[in-house]
Amino acid sequence: MDFSLSNEQRNWQMTARKFAEEQIKPITLDLDEAPHAHGTFDWDIVEKGSKLGFRTMAVPKEFGGEGTDYVTQALVMAELARGDSAISKTFSQNWKWSHLISAACNDEQKERFLRPFVADHRFLLGKGITEPTAGSDNRLPPKDAPKSGLKLRAERHGDQWILNGEKCFIANAPVGKLFFIDARTDPNAPLRQGTTMFLVPYDTPGFRIGKVFNKSGWRFYRNGEMIFENARVPHINVVGQVGTSDMKTALAGDRTGGDLFGDLELAANALGVCDDACEQAMKHARTAKQGGQVLFEQQNVQLKINKMNMLTEALRSMVMRVAWEHDHKVHSANAGLAMNYSTDVIQEVTELNLEIHGGAGARVARHAEKLVRDAFIWSHLAGDTVQRLKVAARLARMAAH
Amino acid sequence: MYNLHLSPEQLEFRDTVRDFVEDEVKPVTLKADRLDLSDRTLPVEVLRKASQIGLRTLALPEDLGGVGADALTSCIVTEELAVGDTDVAAVLAETSALGQRLFGAMTPEQRERFGAAFLEDDDYHLALACREPDDDSALGINYHRPTAEMRLATAAARDGDHWIVNGAKDCIANATVAKLIAVEAQTDKGAALFLVPRESVGLTITEQPEPRWYHGSCGRLSLEGVRVPAANLLGISGALDPGRAAPLAQALNLGIGRAAYEAALEYAGLRVQGGRRIVEHQAIGTKLAEIAIRLDIARTAIWRAAWASDHPGPFADRSLPDLPLTTIAKVFTAETIYRAAKDAAECFGAMGVMRDMPLQKYIHDALICLHTGDGNADDKLRIAEALVNHRRTQPMLAAE
Repeated sequence: MDFSLSNEQRNWQMTARKFAEEQIKPITLDLDEAPHAHGTFDWDIVEKGSKLGFRTMAVPKEFGGEGTDYVTQALVMAELARGDSAISKTFSQNWKWSHLISAACNDEQKERFLRPFVADHRFLLGKGITEPTAGSDNRLPPKDAPKSGLKLRAERHGDQWILNGEKCFIANAPVGKLFFIDARTDPNAPLRQGTTMFLVPYDTPGFRIGKVFNKSGWRFYRNGEMIFENARVPHINVVGQVGTSDMKTALAGDRTGGDLFGDLELAANALGVCDDACEQAMKHARTAKQGGQVLFEQQNVQLKINKMNMLTEALRSMVMRVAWEHDHKVHSANAGLAMNYSTDVIQEVTELNLEIHGGAGARVARHAEKLVRDAFIWSHLAGDTVQRLKVAARLARMAAH
Repeated sequence: MYNLHLSPEQLEFRDTVRDFVEDEVKPVTLKADRLDLSDRTLPVEVLRKASQIGLRTLALPEDLGGVGADALTSCIVTEELAVGDTDVAAVLAETSALGQRLFGAMTPEQRERFGAAFLEDDDYHLALACREPDDDSALGINYHRPTAEMRLATAAARDGDHWIVNGAKDCIANATVAKLIAVEAQTDKGAALFLVPRESVGLTITEQPEPRWYHGSCGRLSLEGVRVPAANLLGISGALDPGRAAPLAQALNLGIGRAAYEAALEYAGLRVQGGRRIVEHQAIGTKLAEIAIRLDIARTAIWRAAWASDHPGPFADRSLPDLPLTTIAKVFTAETIYRAAKDAAECFGAMGVMRDMPLQKYIHDALICLHTGDGNADDKLRIAEALVNHRRTQPMLAAE
């Protein structure tokens, strides 16, 4: 057992910590309180972070990226999330799909898309799966309803595919320049066999962004509808083969149906939020006074701080273990379990932090309240219960072997 | 003796208010704009209509022109109103309860002066101003230790047949809508309540600054040389025993849980995923059952505390335990409804966090209840002191 970090890993961690402290923290509360969804985003922080490499962490070095390992990625996600969870996610969302480009795209596609992605500090990536009538069904297709799941239709006309339909609740939709879009190419086949993945640039004719959603938490992280009205996508933008939508995980070396990076991503991000909450809680407990004495004098406050740190450190152990397992190609259900666990931990830790800050009633700290709203997203955008069922199914498959 | 029947009047009240919420409240308050917490304004027209069916003067005794509802009926009404809108429920509950308390304590001459306007004007609300800026009313560090005597910074000095009141009040429910405010001030003979009309010279009322962390209306009072006639002195003290008061805030909290539950139940019956309505999935069915359990137990605790607040007898003959039943209902309800609202929202997937959808509002509303007053941690200490009959010589200032 060796828990030490390499110098390179440590350097990335410190760069991210400094960036979060000096650049992210000063702007995060004001962005969070913008009344409309359009006021919550800031290109300036994206550019600044991109110049430090935070946008291209997962792009291989031969394409001009940082080519970092999973341990480094976990460390950086947590440090950025310590400044703002949604800003961290805005950066790491690009890693998720640059992993996919590296794993699933052909050389010509890598040249065509990875190069411009690396060169442009405002180039963000996204992926469209969810639709108004298909959320959980895409993650956990029901055996007895083979036609359920996404409906966005793609039909081939010569060298072009014509896409019609809509996507809903798509991260980075309003700000992304390139999207992976899952579309039904065979409406009569079950989801996994009838779906094909396409690379769709934002300026594709017939494709536009619809409603931009205004969320209660993770407000920096943009989310919107995608509308396809006879959108024309060239056949050379098909990822892998027609009718193989699950390649995102299969080609990434994960044959268990899981999402190798995504699960680690949410758990590592949650860890950063918990670190922030623990730090805030301790600072407040050691400075705020009640009846002339600091809050920390009270057993109830000490017990809350103990629990916050206990849960956070347990999560850290899990996150770093999963990252190490990914780097060493160890396959397990641990990434999924860590993500599920992080949902429980981030909510409990941020709620305890709010309790410690909440003694003053109406004068509750803005920051503590924001973390509770950010943490609440874990039960929603990640589909909490469905993810737990998926992990259980994976455990059952492992037990069968 | 144990009787769980509501009276025919109580059942009728519940149905009437439920219809009112469906027909008059929800069409206004469930609009996308109003669900966004940054755009919340008081629905004045809804409050007016509620007044016209007697909900503003619900607890005011019948001989004073009110409906004369008891605490249990008031809780039933508040729960129903809160299903439609917490702000409407909070403003009406405050005015109704204060109507009973303040008018009940007035002299005939005072009732003569204030009663007619209160009854006639549908926009006439009441407030009680006790809390002062930087009040440190939490039990916290003083658990099982004596607390220093509280002296109000707001002071009243006699000047002929008037009192001159100077000071400031903070986080006062109904401040922005009240036309008559009972202000607690220090006199040379101790604390006293003064009836201060809104238009009094020297009284300035401002909305509570952001963040908006309350239900209904809340604001600050500044009193600079306010001349109050000596005839406006009220014969009661400001603080009620929060452990035995009518649990109206808890009924409101329960209404939030009901709203979330009803939304989740409806959606689970419509939304199809996994080849069937999601209500037919074990994971969702169990969640809905847990929410229903939470609501039912919370209501049981609230109704018991409500009934007991009107009937001291069962405490005296040991039918009920000598405990602060309202505080017990408060702690349980706040924790359980917050959890229930979160579970209900989860049934909605991504829609559960969208600001133009109701679920995020229910969670925020439930979170406000969880942090009302000095919070649940403090209330548990109050209950813990009551368990061992720890008596405080100086009463704590009433928590919200």
